[in-house]
Amino acid sequence: MSLVLRRTHPAVRATLVGAYVLCIEWARVSIQAQPGLAIAALVIGGVALGAVAFGTPADRLGLGTSRVGLRIVGGMALGAVLLLPAAVRSSAVPILPAGLAVAAIAVSVGEELAFRGALYAALDELGGAPLAIAGSTAVWTAAHALSHPPAFLVAVAAAGLLLALWRWACRDLVAPIIGHVIADLAL
Amino acid sequence: MRRIALLAAAVTIYAVAAWMVAPGFYDGFGPLQPYNWTCPPPQAGANTKPGAWHVDLKVIGGVSDAGSAFDRDGQIVIGFLPGAFAATGKTTITVDVTPLSTCPQSPTGIQFVTNVYQITASAPLVKASNLVVLYSNLEPAPTDVYSATDPAGPWKSIGAQQQAQQYTIVTTTQSLGYFAAGYSSASPRPGAVTVGGGQALPIIVAVLIVLVVLAGIPLAVLRRRRAHGGVQEEGDV
Repeated sequence: MSLVLRRTHPAVRATLVGAYVLCIEWARVSIQAQPGLAIAALVIGGVALGAVAFGTPADRLGLGTSRVGLRIVGGMALGAVLLLPAAVRSSAVPILPAGLAVAAIAVSVGEELAFRGALYAALDELGGAPLAIAGSTAVWTAAHALSHPPAFLVAVAAAGLLLALWRWACRDLVAPIIGHVIADLAL
Repeated sequence: MRRIALLAAAVTIYAVAAWMVAPGFYDGFGPLQPYNWTCPPPQAGANTKPGAWHVDLKVIGGVSDAGSAFDRDGQIVIGFLPGAFAATGKTTITVDVTPLSTCPQSPTGIQFVTNVYQITASAPLVKASNLVVLYSNLEPAPTDVYSATDPAGPWKSIGAQQQAQQYTIVTTTQSLGYFAAGYSSASPRPGAVTVGGGQALPIIVAVLIVLVVLAGIPLAVLRRRRAHGGVQEEGDV
């Protein structure tokens, strides 16, 4: 799909990528609410999200191979920041069953490839970094509207903004992927 | 410097926003709505007390109509088949669902993970009825629904079906009374095999911080040396 998208106008490409990730996220949430389908929906949804980045050059996704050590350390730092508000609260700790761990990894990687990867790149080409940061954060927040109560969406948006700013400031997607995976696994 | 300042601002905004809500809001692993507790556990954060509700079931030709009764928050739902009540001589059956504000302690050998609800009706229940109980992601998943005729006990398990939506436990009941979901505290805690959360979270964060400091300092020193050595680096990380 990305190979086809690369030949389209940036505005069309950004719109299609945004619509695609929104549809996948909303479908995933709807399906995972069905009995016995939660893990399958999370894994397939994660793979479907990651697929939107297929064909996009790695450097445009922020997946360059330079400074791998710093990218990994950055990912751990992002993970610590994402978890810190929960960690400092006394026993404020939801429990993630081990069975959801693989699903959590699939969704985390897929979401980063989709939102801070393909969607960010499409928006960046269309209107530069400000549009990429604001647009990817807005779509990220909308994508979580079905799975989260309205009161939680401010925190979801803030997490998306932080990850998008990292993507812009460091031109790096490895750290957001690592941070997102750590945060989803630990909570 | 501008990039670092913006990142620092984003970290601050995130910390404030995340502090305002209960933790665990990532990627929809949690329930769609926060659980409303009569007696919230310490980790619950902001909490709305659950409320009572009641329904009136019609009696048509001496047979009570099908219907559902639930609390105000939809955290417990009981479904009635036609003729579920002994409705002779009645025109309606009133069913009340009330969360117990007294928060009865879990009986010996059982750990409740939900509110305790009282379900009463103006006629005796004569058919098994479907019972759906929601639970929170802040507690281990329950294995059974328990019922009692008195909140002081004795409580007995009325089981649970294998298939249920996330964060719900489903069973059937032959009688009305008091209901709560939980697990036997004599057996290993359900969901004990976890990859995070619980008491491990502060340790995970502490390890991450230590790793970032220990790995980040040498990497920063190396980068500075390379920069002084005139080595051109690709990327901005």
